[in-house]
Amino acid sequence: MFSKILVANRGEIAVRVMRTAREMGIATVAVYSEADREALHVLTADEAVLLGESDPASSYLNIDKIVQAAKDTGAQAIHPGYGFLAENPVFAKRITEEGLVFIGPPADVMANLGDKTTARTIMARSDVPIIPGMTASEADPDRLAVAAGTLGYPVLVKAAAGGGGKGMRIVWSEDELADAIAMAASEALAAFGDGSIYLEKYLDRPRHVEFQILADRYGNVVHLFERECSVQRRHQKIIEETPSPALTVDLRQRMAAAAVAAAKAAGYVNAGTVEFLLDRTGAFYFLEVNTRLQVEHPITEMTTGLDLVKHQIEIAAGEPLPFTQEQVFRRGHAIECRIYAEDPEANFMPSPGKILLFRPAEGPGIRYDHGIYRGFDVPVNYDPILGKLIVWAEDRTSACARMIRALQESVLLGVKTPVEFLLDIISSEPFRAGDIHTRFIEEHFAQWKPDTSTDDVAALGFVLNDLAGVRPALASQADIGTAEQQSPWQRLGALDLLG
Amino acid sequence: MNYRLKIGQDVVTLEVGRLDETRSCQVTTGGESRSVTVKAVSPDQMHLTVDRQCFNLFLSPAEDGTWVWFNGKARFVQDADSIPRRKGRGLDDAPGEVTPPTPATVMRVLVEVGNEVTKGQALVVVSAMKMELTLSAPYSGTVAAVNTEVGAKVSPGEILVEIDRAAEGTDDE
Repeated sequence: MFSKILVANRGEIAVRVMRTAREMGIATVAVYSEADREALHVLTADEAVLLGESDPASSYLNIDKIVQAAKDTGAQAIHPGYGFLAENPVFAKRITEEGLVFIGPPADVMANLGDKTTARTIMARSDVPIIPGMTASEADPDRLAVAAGTLGYPVLVKAAAGGGGKGMRIVWSEDELADAIAMAASEALAAFGDGSIYLEKYLDRPRHVEFQILADRYGNVVHLFERECSVQRRHQKIIEETPSPALTVDLRQRMAAAAVAAAKAAGYVNAGTVEFLLDRTGAFYFLEVNTRLQVEHPITEMTTGLDLVKHQIEIAAGEPLPFTQEQVFRRGHAIECRIYAEDPEANFMPSPGKILLFRPAEGPGIRYDHGIYRGFDVPVNYDPILGKLIVWAEDRTSACARMIRALQESVLLGVKTPVEFLLDIISSEPFRAGDIHTRFIEEHFAQWKPDTSTDDVAALGFVLNDLAGVRPALASQADIGTAEQQSPWQRLGALDLLG
Repeated sequence: MNYRLKIGQDVVTLEVGRLDETRSCQVTTGGESRSVTVKAVSPDQMHLTVDRQCFNLFLSPAEDGTWVWFNGKARFVQDADSIPRRKGRGLDDAPGEVTPPTPATVMRVLVEVGNEVTKGQALVVVSAMKMELTLSAPYSGTVAAVNTEVGAKVSPGEILVEIDRAAEGTDDE
């Protein structure tokens, strides 16, 4: 086992990895940029190495500097967290070449799975269902009509050179096809200078369901059940839960088998996630493999009782998996809400700034993984994730209730966060019913505004704070000293004169 | 004592009586009068009893106002009569100016002094927390000044591009 590891990341995930390392008796090395001199991960580690300027290229994406930091501190292995270099096969390869250990899958496996076409081919060979579609573009309307018939309507007309939804058309029946092809082709030509198109099966409001995989170097692969991650904004997950309300025992078994088959087909080692789209008929299709620890991994930890980072480190150290599939159990229901520094009222605009107050909720079944503290300045240079609030309870209804309490009690002031938005989603009828899909927010919360009906309580707080001198709310910081020397009665007298 | 408080776009008016020995007072809002008792649990936490209902609030003073947390709702509360009216501070005070909505880094500057621009034309691209935002011309006119450069760290209220407004009638406002 390693005696020291370097964590090549920042924020909540770096802190989370260091916690497990400490419990395993492994010393930790943090790396950081100028902007993160006082970041929580730096304060948490046993040693910290400054990488350089705040821009990611000079710091968290700089392979040379990170490798050097590992060598200088004598770290034997590097945990990449998620994001930054976590899915960069060049980084993984370099670490191995330098005689260090990358805590993640082998570089070649990562490279194969990172390439969409290669990944699709690997999965198709192993009978893992992939989204049906044409493999090459086609201009002849007759051949396109035949292809559409084979795929089955609805189909999606897509631009080969595409991106951003341009040149994309949903076709519900054969009589709409010719028009859609013509329009998509001309739109694609205008947008990309290339009018070639192809067809793919269209999935109407699918769910995003993924399976957690653990694989050791000796060919043992287990799954740790699914995570439902359908509630997304701008294609980014914001609420995740397990179990998925959509899976029957039979469907779960088939999807898990496909996920294990996918991991085996790819020669996967370490922790990974096989993502699927699940349509309304119960058909599921391979989306991609995430070759890293996922942001939402804690809900799997809460329901299986397993520490995924511990198993990542043990697998990287060459140890076999200490349990078989039959020994993996799951209990209760877990939900995670991502807490970003962003404004849900302004199209989720980033909201960097100073954390003025942070007081995470307490009580049974609550876990808050975060990278902040009161007084910390959230830098503008990186991803806006502040933390993740995770709850566990015996069933979904209780977990929703617990999440509502945890969100209400987790005080976070100074930057905008989506807490109120998340509260409204979890309290909503369609969420309670488990009727969620990847277009859930567009469908139900596109016009969301905060409910202001209790704003008079906030007003009351301001006034009483001002009157009772809990803290002189209107005084500037420089005046606080003098204000505290007066008794509240003196101040009150002065206020009464004004009133 | 009367308070006029600004919360978001709304203004709340409260009439507050004298705080007595039990730290209670009468508060009138919307024509309704209620008895309120306050207890400071810590410098950040306040417990209010309104008639018989209990509320735990968390407060944090900031420049120009106070953040108040109540049951998962964060509200920025300002004394409506003493909100500073500094020119060019924040979005509300500077409508129609080319300023970033959040602290950001300048990625691209798309215009130069003397350029004719039309309303809605992209002027500057900034990046904040991995998200790119395009700042566009609030009205048509001529670029009078470019006050930033690629790589600059900029904040709300900083006018990045100044535009001499074109003669009236050319805008479609």
